[in-house]
Amino acid sequence: MGWAGIWESRELLLLGFWFTVILTVVTIITSTVLGFIVALGRTAHIPILGPILRGYLELFRGTPLLIQILFIYFGSAYLNFTGVTVFAAIVIAMTLYYGAYVSEIFRAGFESVPYGQQEAGRSLGLSRFHVIRDVIVPQTVTIVRPPLVGQYISLVKGTALASVIGYADLVRQGQGIIDRIGSPFAVFLVVAALYFVISYPMSLIERHLEKRTLQA
Amino acid sequence: MEVLAYFPDYLSGLWITTTASLLSFAAALVLGVITAVFRRSGIWPLKVIGAVYVEVIRNTPSLVQIFLIFFGLPSIGIHLPAFEAGVIALAINGGAYLAEIIRAGLTKVPSGQFEAARTLGLGRTDTFFHVVFPQAARYVYPPVINEFIQIILATSLLSTVALNELTGTALVVNSLTFQTLVAFAVALVLYLILTNVVSFAAAWLGRRMFHPPLQLRQERQHGKTLLKRLTIMAGGR
Repeated sequence: MGWAGIWESRELLLLGFWFTVILTVVTIITSTVLGFIVALGRTAHIPILGPILRGYLELFRGTPLLIQILFIYFGSAYLNFTGVTVFAAIVIAMTLYYGAYVSEIFRAGFESVPYGQQEAGRSLGLSRFHVIRDVIVPQTVTIVRPPLVGQYISLVKGTALASVIGYADLVRQGQGIIDRIGSPFAVFLVVAALYFVISYPMSLIERHLEKRTLQA
Repeated sequence: MEVLAYFPDYLSGLWITTTASLLSFAAALVLGVITAVFRRSGIWPLKVIGAVYVEVIRNTPSLVQIFLIFFGLPSIGIHLPAFEAGVIALAINGGAYLAEIIRAGLTKVPSGQFEAARTLGLGRTDTFFHVVFPQAARYVYPPVINEFIQIILATSLLSTVALNELTGTALVVNSLTFQTLVAFAVALVLYLILTNVVSFAAAWLGRRMFHPPLQLRQERQHGKTLLKRLTIMAGGR
């Protein structure tokens, strides 16, 4: 099955593992920030902003991540945006895609706080910013956490698509090893196992948080 | 508009995307129901099989699962064409997600319903198919449709195993015409139409099939957040 060959190539797999982890961490941060801002924008009731943000959500949740990645990567090459490297293209695409899902989670969280609390906060003299930071956000944290972690889990697996445009992540390194030693079945099993190593602890955390939310 | 000359190719790509989605979804639904029943049965080997299947599939990328079946299986003597391999991979993948959705739906049916049906003399199978399942179906309908849309989006991954579905067609047209923006935009618009048609049709069908169950009606009065959370958690792959 070629287990010896895989063990010899462990450095490549480890490198791919780190590339995957780096991409995961970066896009978790960027998509959470974007999702939070979009959710705020959608609850703010600003005339033109609402339809624009709804259009953004429709577009990015109604089309596959893969074609978004391809569109941004090849499209920016077509338009001569030389700054958009493989890493930049994948981060932009994944941020926009997962940001859309994350924003829906935050919005559901914001909506779970009764509107009267906003009014109360405002009439007590708090600014809009302080109402959001000190009244609304603290109450949404427990509700929002489990689905947010669930979204991060799907983000981890989504990073595998980066290999399609040549990012040297786990899948790409796995393909390289297959080109060298063959035995695709064993190599992809190992690659899958390495994803499992990242993803499964997150699943356990999600379940734990879910239990705590239900108790609260 | 050179790209528009390839519109028939896009349509055949759309056709492959649609058939692959429908077949994968149908098979995933069967797998999901079986797995959910396994996990709720009192027989521990079935429970373990169900749990391992769900955890392994849900914690590994669907791209790697497709590669395992398309590139991996030939090395142990199983050769599958791209379409068949893709549909099997997506069905196995979707089945794990649907199993969790269906399991959550089954737990929402009060156990009194089960006991009442058994007391009235229905067998276990009849109780499941005529009493428990129809009630659970109402609860799981929205997240199941959501999962169907996720499967449609996931079929784009089949372009990586050289299947000319919609994304694959866009890649080919791009390399033939070098009209990158238009080549991908056409595919994006077709995906948007497909997913919107499916979700509108599903919403219409849902209104026809189910009157909103009592519990959901109460939740709606409290605000839609709970329902929304259920659908969001199933979303994104």
